[in-house]
Amino acid sequence: MSGSRSIVKLALASPPVSVESARTQPAIQVSNLSIVFDTKRGQTIAVDRVSFDVAPGEFVCIVGPSGCGKSTVLNTIAGLEVPFEGDILVEGSPVYAPRPDVGMVFQQPHLFPWKSVRRNIAHGPRMHGKSKADANAIADDLIAMIGLKRFADAYPNTLSGGMQQRVAIARALANQPRVLLMDEPFGALDAQTRAVMQDNLLELRDRIKATIVFVTHDIDEAIVLADRVLIMSAGPGRILRDVAVKLPRPRSSSIMVEPTYLSLKKDCLDVIRAEGLRAFNQSDAS
Amino acid sequence: MQDGTSAPQKIALRTDGRNRRTDSARLRRLNILVGALSLPLFVGLWELASRSGAVNMVLFPPPTVVAAAVLEWIRSGQFLGDLSASLLRVTTGFIVGGALGILLGILTGQFPVVSSLLSPLFHILRPIPPIAFVPIVILWFGLSEAGKLFLVVWGVFFTVWLSTHIGVQKVDRGLIRAALMLGTPRRQMLQEIVLLGALPYIVVGLRTAVSISFYTLVAAELAGTFAGIVYRIEIAQQNMQTGQVMGGLAALGLISFIADRLFAALAERTVWWR
Ligand SMILES: Nc1ncnc2c1ncn2[C@@H]1O[C@H](COP(=O)(O)OP(=O)(O)OP(=O)(O)O)[C@@H](O)[C@H]1O
Ligand SMILES: [Mg+2]
Repeated sequence: MSGSRSIVKLALASPPVSVESARTQPAIQVSNLSIVFDTKRGQTIAVDRVSFDVAPGEFVCIVGPSGCGKSTVLNTIAGLEVPFEGDILVEGSPVYAPRPDVGMVFQQPHLFPWKSVRRNIAHGPRMHGKSKADANAIADDLIAMIGLKRFADAYPNTLSGGMQQRVAIARALANQPRVLLMDEPFGALDAQTRAVMQDNLLELRDRIKATIVFVTHDIDEAIVLADRVLIMSAGPGRILRDVAVKLPRPRSSSIMVEPTYLSLKKDCLDVIRAEGLRAFNQSDAS
Repeated sequence: MQDGTSAPQKIALRTDGRNRRTDSARLRRLNILVGALSLPLFVGLWELASRSGAVNMVLFPPPTVVAAAVLEWIRSGQFLGDLSASLLRVTTGFIVGGALGILLGILTGQFPVVSSLLSPLFHILRPIPPIAFVPIVILWFGLSEAGKLFLVVWGVFFTVWLSTHIGVQKVDRGLIRAALMLGTPRRQMLQEIVLLGALPYIVVGLRTAVSISFYTLVAAELAGTFAGIVYRIEIAQQNMQTGQVMGGLAALGLISFIADRLFAALAERTVWWR
């Protein structure tokens, strides 16, 4: 299947693509993306001309205030939402609908309550035509990776929130996506569990080598995890700043006391504060 | 991070089986006892009242007379015939009506076009009490079993259809999105995610339909037939066998009670993840 896709890609690329540029082709290209919702009170602009690229294997965090359109951007990359304007390319090809090479983890785990942990994780491979045995083997590998071996046959309603979210991550990884989208996956967890989950994710990330776009409104979480942090303005969402996080890897949440970390955080907070003030004054004026 | 305390010890478990929950357990046992006495008390009072001479014993026979009539009914072999005739009507009607209701409920719930086509019609037909169809059913089907089936199916269908329709529309959007992201094809989406997601609603609809099916059974058998529990009640009434009438009513109550309980137990198992 991947073979046939690469043939199509070659045939479509009219000017011969050099090896160099093929290697640096972004995993995700968002250009001039605007998203408008029709509501009862007319149209709302949720996202206003957002552009950014994500390099293959890069870990990008998007931060911004509630309602600024983070989820909307992510859903559109996932193919769950249709852009009003602009284009989205994943691995060079446009996104029209959910694709097997793009995985998603939502703020809520959304596990299938009637399926055991193993069968939840095996769902994706099963849907892609894998045999039951193969799908279960994939699931068992991932279950070991997320440290839930003891719960392989448990049902979601018997798991804690953190465990459920780990299963949701494993379920998204079971299809071996090239791009993993995560929408505030740890937002509903307590601070302790969240720190553990962040470390888990960093470890996992070294093994799966997927490109990750991670939405959060926690600036600490963003800096700990990301190679780059995109800061969005209050709605309609636009990208205010693109901050490179040049902290050494492997990282863990203990990095949060380093001076380089703190100065980065200060930069980000300054941008956010200025934006908050602007938004506040604007809403006051109107 | 300091290890100031030793490893926490587990609390000691009591081995005598007593804890604070024991008191509420005692209260519960009392309630069960009172519950068990409820029926005998009622039957005893009934016996006394009807033998006291204050009421007409022919119209209001005591439980012993009713029991004798029921025994006679069973011994004559008619009871088995009546029971199976009624149960057959109810179960076939329930299964056919339920299956149609689930199928169309999924279609109208999932596809707006189908809903636009059928929902207005269903919403107009639904409120008409099934009993009101008895005259036309007799014209169409005469006294045949098809007519009886039609009435029960009619009664069951709309309830199941509506609850399935609502259930499908209330399926957690998050589950659907998650399934979409995992590459679930349309067919699997309907068969698995939508159907199971709507199942709690469907089951509630089916349970309501259990009592509706008995209620339409009454109409169906009163419309004229040759066997059945309600038919027997009607015949007994014409012969002034009040004991048999009451026995029939009790049998009907008991059967629909058992059906409801069985269904509730089944439902609990079907949507165990709730
Ligand atoms: N389906 C929809 N219909 C109408 N408006 C919507 C819809 N989804 C989102 N919006 C609007 O778009 C804007 C962005 O919403 P979005 O959910 O993307 O925000 P967010 O940044 O993810 O917020 P949060 O941090 O609270 O999750 C909001 O103003 C919201 O009201
Ligand atoms: Mg959101």
